[in-house]
Amino acid sequence: MVNHLANIADPLPPAIRIDRLCFAYQAKPALHGVTLDLPARQVTAFIGPSGCGKTTLLRCFNRINDRIPGARITGGSIHIHGIDINRPDIDLQELRRRVGMVFQKYNPFPKSIYENVVYSLRLSGIRKRSQLDESAEAALRSAALWDEVKDRLHSSAMGLSGGQQQRLCIARAIVSQPDILLMDEPCAALDPIATLKIEELLHQLKEQFTIVIVTHNMAQATRCADHTAFMYLGKLVEFGPTLQIFQTPHDPQTLAYVTGSFG
Amino acid sequence: MSKTASAPHRFNKSGLSLEKAIKFFFASNAGLTIVILVLIIVFLLKEGLGFFPGYRRELEIYRIAGLEFVDLSRQNLTTHEQLASVLNRAYYAEINGKCARELKRSREAAALFNAFSDQTTATRDLILNNLTAGIDPDSEMLATLRKNHAANVQKALAKLPPTPHLTLTERTALIDSLRSRDVTAKDDPPLVATLTEQYAAAQQVQAKPLAGLRATIDAFEATGSDLSTLVSEMTTAVTATKESLQNADILEKDRKTLLAAAARAKDPAERARLMADAQASLAEQADIDGPMQSLMLRKPTCIEAHNALRQTSSEILTQLPTALSQPEAERLLRAARKAAPVFLTTLGQAPGQISQWRHDTRVPLSAAIRSFLTGKDWVTGGEWQDFYGILPLLVGSLMISMVALCLAIPAGVGAAIYINQFASGHEQSLVKPVIEFIQAIPSVVLGFIGILVFGSVLRDLSQLDSLAWVPGFPIEERLNIFTAGCLLALMSIPTIFSLAEDALNNVPSAYSEASDALGASRIQTSFRVVIPAAFSGILAAVLLGLGRVIGETMVVLLVAGNRIKIPDFSSGIGAFLQPSHTLTGIIAQELGEVPLGSVHYRALFVVGILLFTIVLGINATAHKFVSRTQH
Ligand SMILES: Nc1ncnc2c1ncn2[C@@H]1O[C@H](COP(=O)(O)OP(=O)(O)OP(=O)(O)O)[C@@H](O)[C@H]1O
Ligand SMILES: [Mg+2]
Repeated sequence: MVNHLANIADPLPPAIRIDRLCFAYQAKPALHGVTLDLPARQVTAFIGPSGCGKTTLLRCFNRINDRIPGARITGGSIHIHGIDINRPDIDLQELRRRVGMVFQKYNPFPKSIYENVVYSLRLSGIRKRSQLDESAEAALRSAALWDEVKDRLHSSAMGLSGGQQQRLCIARAIVSQPDILLMDEPCAALDPIATLKIEELLHQLKEQFTIVIVTHNMAQATRCADHTAFMYLGKLVEFGPTLQIFQTPHDPQTLAYVTGSFG
Repeated sequence: MSKTASAPHRFNKSGLSLEKAIKFFFASNAGLTIVILVLIIVFLLKEGLGFFPGYRRELEIYRIAGLEFVDLSRQNLTTHEQLASVLNRAYYAEINGKCARELKRSREAAALFNAFSDQTTATRDLILNNLTAGIDPDSEMLATLRKNHAANVQKALAKLPPTPHLTLTERTALIDSLRSRDVTAKDDPPLVATLTEQYAAAQQVQAKPLAGLRATIDAFEATGSDLSTLVSEMTTAVTATKESLQNADILEKDRKTLLAAAARAKDPAERARLMADAQASLAEQADIDGPMQSLMLRKPTCIEAHNALRQTSSEILTQLPTALSQPEAERLLRAARKAAPVFLTTLGQAPGQISQWRHDTRVPLSAAIRSFLTGKDWVTGGEWQDFYGILPLLVGSLMISMVALCLAIPAGVGAAIYINQFASGHEQSLVKPVIEFIQAIPSVVLGFIGILVFGSVLRDLSQLDSLAWVPGFPIEERLNIFTAGCLLALMSIPTIFSLAEDALNNVPSAYSEASDALGASRIQTSFRVVIPAAFSGILAAVLLGLGRVIGETMVVLLVAGNRIKIPDFSSGIGAFLQPSHTLTGIIAQELGEVPLGSVHYRALFVVGILLFTIVLGINATAHKFVSRTQH
């Protein structure tokens, strides 16, 4: 694939370098030689038809695919900030603290709002109440949820609306200050207003985080993403600045997909 | 909706009727189950509720016949005897503790001797008896005996009991002498005899310094004799009154049955005959006033006897030594010294109770209910008076369940957590079926194993000198609460395990995925997210396990020891090593033997109702927890 990164003024080295990555579920290959550099402190969107491997690729970045028996990287490599994350001696817990993830279906724990937010802090052994309170408030503010929940921090997270629960999941993912935030169709289960709130959130968050978002919503990609990658059948077809991908795609498949005449 | 369905339509007629038939089939099955359940409950209630009026009448007879009055004195007499027995045990524990070496040596030698002569004793005794009577032994019999003896010797040699307190020379000498011993030899082998003598001599020596204690105990035992005579005299009198009252009750019941039959009879001649029979069955009014008056005349004597007993006892008991040297004796002495003031206080209250007692105080139904629910005695089929107090059974059931749960919760829940959260697929496929296999063991077989293996091993263990510090050790009873609890734990582990494992399995994987993605380790995910999320399901599993344990019958009947008595908590957790009876066990044991419709029979039904209620309550609570997890 053509590397368009050269065209963009980008002072930071890429956050994630993917090199000829191949991936398989048991005997079933899902990714075939994906090569891609994801720029730091920017929003990159993955688009493509269903089943093309967007989720698979995203879940490689924090190796959450390890949970699936038989799923493994069969070739190539992923470097995050220069470190090969597929090495067997990698500290998975540390990796996942650096690379946060928000799932398609919001999944807060059946605990209080507060306990949800501070979960990862508690994991790393932080006990000091003031520190927990501070971080929780900061994270909830970043997730634009603070005003809605500040009076009921200790009631169950299950009592929140869907959009609020998803923002709570975002707060939970960013509370320990990761470098990279992975989001798999974060708005798929939400209504347009909640979606809008989360999109606004993305704009603020990219100041601090490198964000990778999978979406089926073209409009969303154009609104939020600086770069867009189009995937098809487990391969990366085209990658570039969002405007270019949507207005002057180089590849006919991309054109067909973004104009909606794909098929 | 129903309109469209009922509208004539040429395609749906046959389909609908089949559907209806299927529906009806399942509905009727469900209905049948409910009907059966209702019938069971109605039956239980019908049979059980008659208990309380019947029991009330029994208690009433107990009062108006004067048995209650006699029991006022008898209770104190029993306490007196118990106290004396504790003192006696302390006395012998002290002596035997001091000559423990002689006792052990003598016992070991005797054990060795028995190993050689065990099976031949009966025939041998017969021959010996004949010999003393001057009859020559049958030569054939003698030959068989010799042959058996020879075989026995071989067997004994193969498996000789240990004799840690005999010297090697003594042991070899004894074995040699036993080997060559003639089967008809009468006297004990010299070593056995010597050791027995030594033991007796040591006992005598040790008894000397304890002569004071012996005298005190003897004096104390003698103080009860006056009251004892009085009680046995009164007993004869009141038993007769009770019998005549009971007979009158039976006749009255017959008469009512006959009258009812007469009212139903159509043939006038038949009716007349029945009426005549009923007339004949008219009970003579039992004479209770006369015996009662003479009983009441004894009140002053009774009071006097109590006062005298109290006077002398308090004097004698002050002479008890303050300490004994052997730990067991010391424990018993301390128990006696603790019980003595209580005994004296009770004696002090007795005169008041005796003088206030009246035979004509009414016995309300509530007294029967109270006596059932809070009674400490379950006495049935006795000569004296039956009591149906549920407490010993309830306490037994609860203690056994407690032991079972204390063992089964860590094992079952722990195994479920391990298998569900940490085990490899290989381990899972190995352990799960094994645990579930336990469920397939019939409880009779388990009880059998419990008696033969577990109970015996536990008792032998408890007799080791090095384990004497464990409270309640050494245990005398092979069958006890702890043994039963262990086996029930084994039985409830599969239930708890499977249900807890299901509960863990039902926790959405989204939770653990989210936790993993936040950088949690395996253990953190399990203990911070998955197990808390499954908590109410696990609690439900434990409760259902408890339901299973309380309702289990066979194992407790075989292994709990079936002693109807509230365990003695004075020895602390040693109480768990005592035998006990249970709610389920008592029904299984007694229901087959009671006369249909008797008060005892109905009492067992009420126990059944109680059991049913307890288990139902437990299951309902468990279901509440299960449904809480699902929402
Ligand atoms: N757990 C799994 N086991 C086996 N195959 C899987 C698994 N998850 C995904 N796949 C397969 O891998 C391929 C890529 O799936 P993936 O979920 O990455 O697609 P996607 O682009 O995210 O699709 P969508 O837009 O529908 O979410 C698909 O063919 C899918 O069938
Ligand atoms: Mg997907």
